[in-house]
Amino acid sequence: MEERLYDLIFICRPDTPEEEISKLVATLEQAATERGGKVEKVEKWGTRKLAYRVHKHREGFYVYLVLRATQGEMIKELERRLKVSDPVIKYLTVRLDEELKRQQKLVRRRERKAARRPRKSAGTGEQAVAAS
Amino acid sequence: MADEPRQHSSGPPGARREGPPGGPRKGKRQYFRKKKVCRFCVERVDFIDYKKVEMLQPFVQDRGKILPRRMTGTCSKHQRWLGEAIKRARNIALLPFATDL
Repeated sequence: MEERLYDLIFICRPDTPEEEISKLVATLEQAATERGGKVEKVEKWGTRKLAYRVHKHREGFYVYLVLRATQGEMIKELERRLKVSDPVIKYLTVRLDEELKRQQKLVRRRERKAARRPRKSAGTGEQAVAAS
Repeated sequence: MADEPRQHSSGPPGARREGPPGGPRKGKRQYFRKKKVCRFCVERVDFIDYKKVEMLQPFVQDRGKILPRRMTGTCSKHQRWLGEAIKRARNIALLPFATDL
């Protein structure tokens, strides 16, 4: 199966100690590598205000991961772990590779267009060229 | 402000001064609206990131509603992507679903 790219964001309680979060990230990383995945990037955004109350918390510690996976099982397992771990109050996984593919397609198309445009304007419409 | 004579100058002469020359829809209307351009098209955005809250915020009302296209001038393609991004941001509490505090 082809490789897939995911974004995974989870929010911890604001009062969790930093080490515990690091430990949690490490276990997630291990679980990912065991299932043939890879953690590309780990970002700790720190404590942010939540837009609405989650489990009676108004703030949360955001952690952002970028994952590469070859099987959906890995995401399932990671989400299960997040669900059962106490400090995590919310998480979200987003599959990104298809959107990136779309983006690349648009960029390519624009480049092609840009490459074509000067010729088009010089001829002032292909009609003249086509007619001849 | 005597530019080239139009076929139909039904609006009062005073109102004409306001609009840009050759502005959109010169009809019976006496007010002129600036034509809105899709901000994402101008900046050539191919992917609207749900993580960049400050980018999404201008397209959301204070209460958390997504602003309609007619207010922001976003093109239909980008409005669709924008809606998706806002909904994702809502899911992880970056943007509110609704606020009444």
